[in-house]
Amino acid sequence: MNLAWDDALWAAAALSIDPAGLRGIWVRAPHGPVRDQWLAELTHLHPLIRRLPGHADTERLLGGLDLGATLNAGRAVYQAGLLLQTTPTVLMLPMAERLPNDTAAILGQVLDQGQVTLGSSGMTQDTFIGVAALDEALDDEPPMTGGLQERLGVWLDLRSMGRSGGESEETRMVLDTLPALDLEALRAHAKNMPVSDVQVQAMCQTAMALGVDSLRAPLAAIKLAKIMAALRGCDVLEDEDLGRAARLVITPRATRLPPPPEDAQQEQPPPAPPEQNNPPEDPPPPDQQQDPEPPAKELDEPEVDPQHMAEMMLEAAMACLPADVLAQLAQGYKPAFASRGQGRSGDRKMSFLRGTPMPPRAGNPRQGARLHVLATLNAAVPRQKLRRLPAHTNVRLAIRTEDFHVHRFAEHSPTCLIFAIDASGSAALHRLAEAKGAVELLLAQSYARRDQVCVIAFRGTTAEVLLPPSKSLVRAKRSLSGLPGGGGTPLAKAIEQSLQVALAEQRLGHSPSLVMLSDGRPNISLQGQGGRAQALEDALTLARLWRGHGLPAIWLDTSARPDPQAQQLAKEMGARYVPLPLANGNRMAQAVNAAQNGKPLASTAAQSTPMWQKQTAPSTTPVWRNPASS
Amino acid sequence: MATPFPFSAIVGQDEMKLAIQIVAVDPKVGGVLALGDRGTGKSTAVRALADLLPPIQVVKGCRYGCDPKSGSSGCPDCASLKSGQKITTESKPVPVIDLPLGATEDRVVGALDLEKALSQGVKAFSPGLLAQANRGFLYIDEVNLLEDHLVDLLIDVAASGENVVEREGLSIRHPARFVLVGSGNPEEGELRPQLLDRFGLSVEVRTPQDLDQRVMVIKRRDAFERDPEAFRQTFAADNDALRQHIVKARKTLEKVQAGDDLLRTCAQLCQKLGTDGLRAELTLMRASRAYAAIQGKKIVTTAHLRAIAPLALRHRLRRNPLDDTGSGARVQRALEEVLGA
Repeated sequence: MNLAWDDALWAAAALSIDPAGLRGIWVRAPHGPVRDQWLAELTHLHPLIRRLPGHADTERLLGGLDLGATLNAGRAVYQAGLLLQTTPTVLMLPMAERLPNDTAAILGQVLDQGQVTLGSSGMTQDTFIGVAALDEALDDEPPMTGGLQERLGVWLDLRSMGRSGGESEETRMVLDTLPALDLEALRAHAKNMPVSDVQVQAMCQTAMALGVDSLRAPLAAIKLAKIMAALRGCDVLEDEDLGRAARLVITPRATRLPPPPEDAQQEQPPPAPPEQNNPPEDPPPPDQQQDPEPPAKELDEPEVDPQHMAEMMLEAAMACLPADVLAQLAQGYKPAFASRGQGRSGDRKMSFLRGTPMPPRAGNPRQGARLHVLATLNAAVPRQKLRRLPAHTNVRLAIRTEDFHVHRFAEHSPTCLIFAIDASGSAALHRLAEAKGAVELLLAQSYARRDQVCVIAFRGTTAEVLLPPSKSLVRAKRSLSGLPGGGGTPLAKAIEQSLQVALAEQRLGHSPSLVMLSDGRPNISLQGQGGRAQALEDALTLARLWRGHGLPAIWLDTSARPDPQAQQLAKEMGARYVPLPLANGNRMAQAVNAAQNGKPLASTAAQSTPMWQKQTAPSTTPVWRNPASS
Repeated sequence: MATPFPFSAIVGQDEMKLAIQIVAVDPKVGGVLALGDRGTGKSTAVRALADLLPPIQVVKGCRYGCDPKSGSSGCPDCASLKSGQKITTESKPVPVIDLPLGATEDRVVGALDLEKALSQGVKAFSPGLLAQANRGFLYIDEVNLLEDHLVDLLIDVAASGENVVEREGLSIRHPARFVLVGSGNPEEGELRPQLLDRFGLSVEVRTPQDLDQRVMVIKRRDAFERDPEAFRQTFAADNDALRQHIVKARKTLEKVQAGDDLLRTCAQLCQKLGTDGLRAELTLMRASRAYAAIQGKKIVTTAHLRAIAPLALRHRLRRNPLDDTGSGARVQRALEEVLGA
């Protein structure tokens, strides 16, 4: 049986029964047959699906004055918003990863309260919507806005699912009979289903063990379990329902593995909740990978030991953790984009002159702003009656200054590349020359892009800002040429200094990113004292601090062969790790460019071939073994 | 109107509940900022706020909910209502208004009433969210993601207590005195210091790490969703008691004294922490007084100060990017230095 697909179908069925109760489902999948199949099943179950285009404006979402109809009728005509649905409706949200923050905020508010405020009157009306958000974000792209993610009950990841189909017979039967059922009665049945304290406790324990902090998760899981029990025609919640609900709601939100003392295989992680001290007296033997249900069936009697039950559920929850997620969790990995909100200031800024077009805003066309003719006319039209033109004029439309709308653009803020160059004795002196070459090359490129460059060199006991953020090519060259080499490696100092510059840049509205050129062998601590252990400790602390700020970084490892210590530092920093043992300036520049654009890193061996033709070697492949051309 | 979750049924979150009670007793303290991860129940606590407050008397027919006792509040509605005839009053619950992130300027400030413009050809003002929030609370979820132009607008109105509309050929000013309540996740974006400063108190909200508490939260929520009305009934007595306590504290507040020694300590504390401006001292003093009133005391003591200082000062510290310790710990440290451990 294809367990993941089976669960996905149950989620679809539950959503079709009570979309408003579950708030919705976050589907991560590329456009493809698996997603199509899932959507087909959902559509088959639930005829009431409305599509919600991502560019829908507030009027369309919440309702408001229908301008066209108003003008035709000569009186105010209101239209109901898409979010106001009096019958349970699934709102389909295609390309959810591109959903603007403001739309997501409105959606979140309506989902939270289950009601829509009508106009400015403050009147509210209940609504019954759930969202099916289809998120196509790739691995290194930021997914849908966090606020909305959090509110949607079920998280479904179809990306790792190779094929659709393979559901169990019971599932098929439930799905086939569902359209004929009385949904209203089913909803009421689910709502009134009793849930025991032990069950609630087990769910909370599972959530805690997997590091799920939000209390919305266990709530949603219990709600989902109730719906699924009702679907199966049961009057009480059974372990099967709870296990499945935990897999659909809790597991995808997991931020850590339950702390097991012993080393475990990925396929069979020990289901040990943190409080538990005594070893499980009766570990369920059946093969986890194929079917997690047998242990559930063993524990069917109502008087269950809560500890035991929590174990069982945790096990069920872990059954469908994809291997890569598991590996990442085991390393304490957090996605780098997690802390980068869309709305942070500095990433984009508004401009009246250039950039990507944004919706026009009211304003006077001065200081270089251009008049948005269409929006201006739109604003003027409904006010024509107010302005009562004298009959004898042949003016068709009275436009006043207050109608003026101007073009607006979102401009990407200037990037500031901070180079932290290891000029210590361990980074051999010739590498320093290469690094200088790379900086000069990048500077030339960034000059064309209007980016800024800052150079920090560290050696001996200090890190020094050689070149404060600047666009000047000449200054950069001069500051680099005088850079001496030799001495200790005060890596912690370097990161500290870089962070200071980066935060200052961020306050100015720029987007800083760091390029660290080092072999990652610190031997000077933050206090300026020698000693490798303390130095490494300090460097790791500051690396974590860097990641805490969600700033992007690239680590170019300059040592002769890739160094695990440098890799570790890069990981702690949330940096892209690029080993470049035989780098020369040109190749470094290429690597930095590639990493910045989010492309897979191209092989560094050839320099003449354009980047887009060779997206083969990921960062960890030993590229230095390729025949080097020097 | 959907039933709000009863305030007294909220489990844990003591700091958050305390801050909300303080602004309920003395709105002059100036608002609450709740920072924390998602799903920790920030919104629930704020939306339950209306439970705490007794209904207010408003001028009937006034769209800004003016107080009948206040004289000339500069409200355009009351001016026309009060001219000539006697005004009638009605009581209504304290408004708690949600300001969604995506709100347009029109919706916040108010705009030309299109319906009247089209049907009657009259130029009339249709009040926005700021008007609705007058004498109540304005709640902004994810306040750190709010667009800049809205932030500017709020900063101005929150400081002046008056909304001035000069747009679309309208020229109107109306009272907009409200308590700002914001929530957000600091990892996703920083607040502008100017807006930060407008919040009197800040609290850090965390999910309870205790299993029993979590189970309690889930159970109560589940019971609430099954039958909201019945659930509210069970907590009605608690809510009433709490509300009366607040009303009583409001009355005591006028009599609460803060001695010169205490003010000196306030100033010392703020000096030590290097907070900008004098707003920190003022807020600290006001909030401590409200806290003393809640406890039924007539004199503010250092114990009150100690409890309130983290809330009132935490968000006013200059950020030191390299200091890992949270600002709460820094306030504690300063407290210990000034007051002795």
